[in-house]
Amino acid sequence: MPVALTQLNIDEVLRYMGCPPDKADSSTRALAEECAAQMLRTATPRWTYRIFDLGFEEEGVRMGGLLLPGEDLKAHLTGCGQVALFCATLGAGADALIRRAESGDMARALALDCAAAAAVEEVCDRIELELQAMFPGCFFPFRYSPGYGDLPLTLQGDLLALLDAPRRVGLTASASNILLPRKSVTAILGIAQSPIERKNRSCLGCPAHDGCQYRKSGGHCGIS
Amino acid sequence: MEFHELLKAPGPILLDGGMGSMLQAKGLALGEYPELAALEHPDWLREIHRAYVEAGSQIIYANTFGANREKLSRTGKTAAEVVSASVALAREAAGGRALVALDLGPIGQLLEPTGILKFEEAVDIFKEMVLAGAAAGADLAVIETMTDLQEVRAALLAVKENSSLPVIATMSYEERGRTFLGCDPASAALTLEGMGADAVGVNCSLGPREMPPLVEELTRWTTLPIAIKPNAGLPDPGGAGYDITAEEFAQSMADLADLGVKLYGGCCGTTPEYIARMKAALAGRTIRDIPRNVPAAVCSGSCAVPIDRVRVIGERINPTGKKAMKEALRRGDVDYMLNQALEQTGAGADILDVNVGLPEIDEAEMMVRVVKAIQGITDAPLQLDSTDPKVLEGALRVYCGKAIVNSVNGDEESLTAILPLVKKYGAAVVGLTLDRNGIPKSTEERMVIARRILDKALFYGIRREDVYIDCLTLTVSAEQAGASQTLEALRRVHAELGLKTVLGVSNISFGLPARPLVNQNFLTMAMTCGLDLPIINPNLEPMMAAVRSYHLLMNIDKDARDFIAAYGDAQVSTTITAGKAAPAPAEAGARDLGKLVEAGLKNEAGQATRQLLAEREPMDIVDNVLIPALDRVGADFETGRVFLPQLIQSAGAAQAAFEVIREKLSGQPGRETDKGTIVLATVKGDIHDIGKNIVKVLLENYGYTVIDLGKDVDPAAVVEAARKHKAGLVGLSALMTTTLKSMEETIALLRREQVPCKTVVGGAVLTPEYAAQIGADFYAKDAKESVDVARRVFGTT
Repeated sequence: MPVALTQLNIDEVLRYMGCPPDKADSSTRALAEECAAQMLRTATPRWTYRIFDLGFEEEGVRMGGLLLPGEDLKAHLTGCGQVALFCATLGAGADALIRRAESGDMARALALDCAAAAAVEEVCDRIELELQAMFPGCFFPFRYSPGYGDLPLTLQGDLLALLDAPRRVGLTASASNILLPRKSVTAILGIAQSPIERKNRSCLGCPAHDGCQYRKSGGHCGIS
Repeated sequence: MEFHELLKAPGPILLDGGMGSMLQAKGLALGEYPELAALEHPDWLREIHRAYVEAGSQIIYANTFGANREKLSRTGKTAAEVVSASVALAREAAGGRALVALDLGPIGQLLEPTGILKFEEAVDIFKEMVLAGAAAGADLAVIETMTDLQEVRAALLAVKENSSLPVIATMSYEERGRTFLGCDPASAALTLEGMGADAVGVNCSLGPREMPPLVEELTRWTTLPIAIKPNAGLPDPGGAGYDITAEEFAQSMADLADLGVKLYGGCCGTTPEYIARMKAALAGRTIRDIPRNVPAAVCSGSCAVPIDRVRVIGERINPTGKKAMKEALRRGDVDYMLNQALEQTGAGADILDVNVGLPEIDEAEMMVRVVKAIQGITDAPLQLDSTDPKVLEGALRVYCGKAIVNSVNGDEESLTAILPLVKKYGAAVVGLTLDRNGIPKSTEERMVIARRILDKALFYGIRREDVYIDCLTLTVSAEQAGASQTLEALRRVHAELGLKTVLGVSNISFGLPARPLVNQNFLTMAMTCGLDLPIINPNLEPMMAAVRSYHLLMNIDKDARDFIAAYGDAQVSTTITAGKAAPAPAEAGARDLGKLVEAGLKNEAGQATRQLLAEREPMDIVDNVLIPALDRVGADFETGRVFLPQLIQSAGAAQAAFEVIREKLSGQPGRETDKGTIVLATVKGDIHDIGKNIVKVLLENYGYTVIDLGKDVDPAAVVEAARKHKAGLVGLSALMTTTLKSMEETIALLRREQVPCKTVVGGAVLTPEYAAQIGADFYAKDAKESVDVARRVFGTT
């Protein structure tokens, strides 16, 4: 499914670049703006989803026959009877654009990479709104991805298989669980019939905060 | 009846419909492997195959779509046993009433450059399936639902090299007319027909109503029969099915007969009912016979370039006479070539010549590396330039698209060694009008050689349109009569043989003053004589201006669109300064190079360095201007006064300065800038290399020689490079928790092999504690710290 992307939050792009927005000089901001625009022209965002009933078990939660092990997601989805599993990707063109810049201009490559990170987030925000609109009157904890808390990255391949993602949107996972094309996300959105304790979407509150690979690289996982 | 007889018979050929959706309807559970149906649910599979045969399918696809070793890795079954059982079962169900196809679907892992799967490994994965499928009695192979042309090539090569099965190759497109990975029907058609597919087409992705534009585009670029196997309309986004009925499907498919489609089937969501109704709908229809006039053309995996006007071949990726490129080749620095590629396409080159021949390097290995790297960053088609068949074959294998092979000559030895490769990989070929007797002086003798090359190419089954003749430019200062002979030969090849022509233009003026003028005029004269493919330096504006003017004046550039787009705002000066060349305009005083580096001004830094070199020694500039400036930026970065983007921009400016200095120093032995050699790699399984690349730029700025092994690097390759280059430091990067294991293995192997080097590790998931635990000597938290580590290892001077 296509999803339209029209603009990116430049402050967000600057933050990903490791530059506090209020301290960015004009040339850095201009670079971020130019690269954001170029990324928007190049990316071809696609997504797909499926709705599953959710089962709670000793070792974790189960959806579509697949066990999602661990305590954190289980706690996170308390009160949810269903989940929307979705994935989104900016497509191979975004990767190619970054690769092209890397051979000659690393500052540009960094800005494009960060613009892509911001774009994936933006796409996920829009998808989340669309999914929420399909379940009027329901309640939703924030979306949750493998690698967050104790939910293992090794699930990526199984999640993509449940979504038929390689065929539907061209998204795959490598043997080391890297999503390819690179600028992609898989996420689980809980769906509850009655109000749930809405947890703060804060990076600090995350159980994985200390060792988080996303945070250390100047980005984040798509949750906060 | 054999597949080829079916193709020859008039009327449509009916394929089968969906398999996955049929298996699910029979009760296949979510999470179960559909590939194992022949072993686990043979009755279901038999019923499905039979239902398709009864509905009218003349070719059924065995259930081998995903039966490759990657997808089967967790099932405990081998590809060979699953493929054998599936093909045998399909044959039994067909009972001689339909042909059985070995179905080759995507491996499920993306190939380089988007993914990490190597081309040869992909070929090997398909080979296993092909051997089993052919042995089990498949009548043909189908390659389907592909989104990466390179993966189709791997499958097609596997079929051709390991069986004699005919092949249908179909790809899956989006409505914008490209696959997920950017392949267009033109590139697919040109490439796959060249490599010997028997039919090409479209499957999956869209419904039959979306097929006409794709079919029309395919028929423009191939003479092969077209196969169409769409879904039952467009999918419901939530996975609930497809949106058109069997009757609607049948009617839309039947309409494709008017577009000349030969093979008809269905993909996801279609059932035997869809095929039965489609058969009925096609019953009264005649397949229109549309004449196909496929032009001479080349392509990459995503861009077709028809030779229907003058197309510029960029000549810059060639070490002849280029010190800096020779230096880059010796260092194995592919970035140099990549920059040349981008610069030339930016200037308007349509095709890029790639020549990496240098006596002291392994040309075959370097050619493969460079071709792969260039394909990763540009979609311009490539001209593979070598006379060594081994080099050419290596490059042709990994090249995705229809390349040009440069070149063969009129000698039997050259023709018999290279033309079979051109045929096998579906390339076009440049024939030089020379032989063992040298370049003939007369036009007539050149025509004789051109004819000989053409005849031999036709003999090997190469299309006439794919033979380009190079009539050869002679330096006019040495042989003044040569130019007119070359032009006359061009005219005759064009008129009498009807072949496309190639010509390296720049040599004409060697040894003369005002070379650009001579080159530009000769180019214009040659185009007027029918030159299609000038090999020039597109960065020289007068050359591109000649090409654009030619297109304008010959009414090829309609409404002068391209010309105005290029020169609408241009200030043109035609003044030629006679006599001695005027000195370069003096800059308004040499600006402080250090300041320019701090400000991150690339171009200015390069210029300032050039001026500074007039007064100061190269190493003095490095040690007393560049490095102190970088140190100041580094210190500001550490204290939070500047941030990563500025640090990188400063590094970029210093790099520009460094290139100027390196140019000055090259060829002066003992005066290298080298302060120590560092091998860098992103570890096996990991592909996040932006951080490593930033580190590389910074280290180079400080005068270290960096051997960059790229991403997804095998531990053994790190050991080999560290040994070969006598590296004092090895830097490893990993960004995933799942790839830290590879980092640990790499360090362990370096130790076990007793490579005398220190190791430094970095990457988002690493901590100093973990670095120590896996035996790394140093941990660097960012690019700046990696420089500090290098200084500790090599000393500060």
